[in-house]
Amino acid sequence: MNTFLAILRKDLLLELRGGRSTTALVSLALLVLVVLTFALDRTAGDGPANAAGALWIALVFAGMLGATRVMVAEHENGCLRALLLSPVDRAILYAAKLTASATFMIVAAAAASTMAMLFFNLEFSGSLATLAVALTLGALGFSALATLLAAISIRARGGELLLPLLIVPLFVPALIAGVKASAAALAGAPLAAAREWVGILIAFDILFVTAGYLLFEHVVGEE
Amino acid sequence: MAAAVIETHALGKTFGLTPVLQETEFKLSPGRGAIVIGGNGCGKSTLLAIFAGLVAPSEGYALVFGEDTRRFGPRYRRRIGMMSHQSFLYPDLTARENLEFYARLYQVSAPREVAESWLARLGLADWAGDRVRTFSRGMEQRLAAARAMIHGPSLLLLDEPFAGLDPDGVARVGTLIKSALEEGCSIVATAHTPFGVEGAEFEVYEIVRGQVVPCQEEDAPRRGRLRSLLRPRPS
Amino acid sequence: MNRRLYGALGLSALSAMLVALYMVFVWVPTEADQGIVQRIFYFHVPCAWVAFASFGLVAIAGIFYLWMGAQIWDDLGYAAVEIGMLFCTLVLITGSLWAKPIWGTWWTWDSRLTTTFVLWLMYGAYLMLRTVADDTPQVARFAAVIGIVAALDVPVVIVSVRLWRTIHPAVLVTRQGGHGLEDPRMVVTLLVSLAAFTLLFAWLLLLRFSELRMRTRLATLAREIALARFRAGAA
Repeated sequence: MNTFLAILRKDLLLELRGGRSTTALVSLALLVLVVLTFALDRTAGDGPANAAGALWIALVFAGMLGATRVMVAEHENGCLRALLLSPVDRAILYAAKLTASATFMIVAAAAASTMAMLFFNLEFSGSLATLAVALTLGALGFSALATLLAAISIRARGGELLLPLLIVPLFVPALIAGVKASAAALAGAPLAAAREWVGILIAFDILFVTAGYLLFEHVVGEE
Repeated sequence: MAAAVIETHALGKTFGLTPVLQETEFKLSPGRGAIVIGGNGCGKSTLLAIFAGLVAPSEGYALVFGEDTRRFGPRYRRRIGMMSHQSFLYPDLTARENLEFYARLYQVSAPREVAESWLARLGLADWAGDRVRTFSRGMEQRLAAARAMIHGPSLLLLDEPFAGLDPDGVARVGTLIKSALEEGCSIVATAHTPFGVEGAEFEVYEIVRGQVVPCQEEDAPRRGRLRSLLRPRPS
Repeated sequence: MNRRLYGALGLSALSAMLVALYMVFVWVPTEADQGIVQRIFYFHVPCAWVAFASFGLVAIAGIFYLWMGAQIWDDLGYAAVEIGMLFCTLVLITGSLWAKPIWGTWWTWDSRLTTTFVLWLMYGAYLMLRTVADDTPQVARFAAVIGIVAALDVPVVIVSVRLWRTIHPAVLVTRQGGHGLEDPRMVVTLLVSLAAFTLLFAWLLLLRFSELRMRTRLATLAREIALARFRAGAA
């Protein structure tokens, strides 16, 4: 537990000192939202549903590029090797990196959902708790996948191209569930109305955090 | 005779179709120091990486502290310290924060105090609160040495520890190596040319065609006292 | 590979397929609602069965590869992905050919087709990894992990897509075509077709698997040659 906290603390500290994960995630998400508000006809169709879709598109794209920075930066400055040298359990390392990545994604999600509500002219009185739950679960699931696959992308040739290709189909269930739950929340529905979708998100998170926890050691090592 | 710290058995490593090490036999007794010399790409860094349990051999195996490096657990990793071309330091953390982090990672008790004492020992106390990004190469190397030893390892793997150091830095690192040996630590260091440390004895080996053999050169006798880079610094 | 097994499998696949073809095109009665087009069902469903089963095989091979490290498991997994991908593509194509006359559109986001499409994307990503990256045990491990993770994902995909479609039935009427098999001859034809496609899959898998085994053997030989040349000082 101590080592988990030490690594997490180090990553959060580095982020505050100019880590650029959060800024990358937030700016990418905002850029995508801007493009979508121009590209989509916001007056047509279901406002909350459009906003939810745009929001999740923005987060997935931002995540594909930004969620892996915690792993990639560690590898680029050579310190991943130092971590692997140390007695730290690879699964603990995974848990710490996952938590850091998810934290940054949640921050970006908060910023992006605020923007989405503004851009799509939605009331802030919508069921924000449900929205927060959906986004948090989604961020966690995405980070679980991204952290595991980032280990692959840094070691394999052509890895950076591979990562989005791998993550998107794997993330589909969480994407479907997340958008549906978010749309319900933005339309003001209570948590109970979206419970099936939230259930899927929870199952997804449990499944992939566990899978990552068990499989990380097989991909993070060197030759 | 005490069990060897490092013992290899027909160790080999091939990257793709490029063999680097083959049928390598190497043995290190506890408390001894060994220097492995060779040119670039000859496999010395790979050898250390295998001993550290970072890279798996293609053939054969290496036993470190009696345990196969392919099955290294935390207990064994705790006893190894390593320095390499990369400093393993976080540029945006301060010297103190770097050392504290690694102390915590290795579960050293009283990490803060231990970090402070190492900073003092390496003459970096005045820069403890500065980010490593601002450090000179010499200071960075010194801090990297502290990082490698902060958890009290019994085996030190040093990949070209004197590279890029000025005489002062060389002296400091040399002193560290000497005191580590005196405390019973075993050391394997790599370099391009043999070096000597005043008052310490090293066995010199070189890598020839993928094998570690005792150094044959006339002008680099086994005890490595010639070509000493270090003279005791008046303190 | 055992030539007798290979021949026997090929022969039984061929005969089963001939029987199935006869049954599908001649023997089984035409379905009342959809007419002749409905016969695609007898190819579409077995292809889907093969695609999904193959995926399961990839995951199992992946688990064994991570656990035992023997290359044979990786070769099996890789072969299973390639053949599975072929059948997965066939599911999508036959589904499309079926959809056009029935629903008037080349593609529909019906729950089963959507799930198969996601599966197809996952297969594609796996194949991209193997094609683009080098051929090392490390990449094989990556592929194994991806296979396992993707297989774990499939049930969640099925559930979420089904929930997604039932809440929005606006796109099309719930798929009725062919799943109410009134005539027992239809059931028999389906079963025979399933058997034929399974045999075909097994035969193709064996074919590809033996190719990969040979490739592995060649790679081992190439490595041994490189090692021998290195030892002789040719490097």
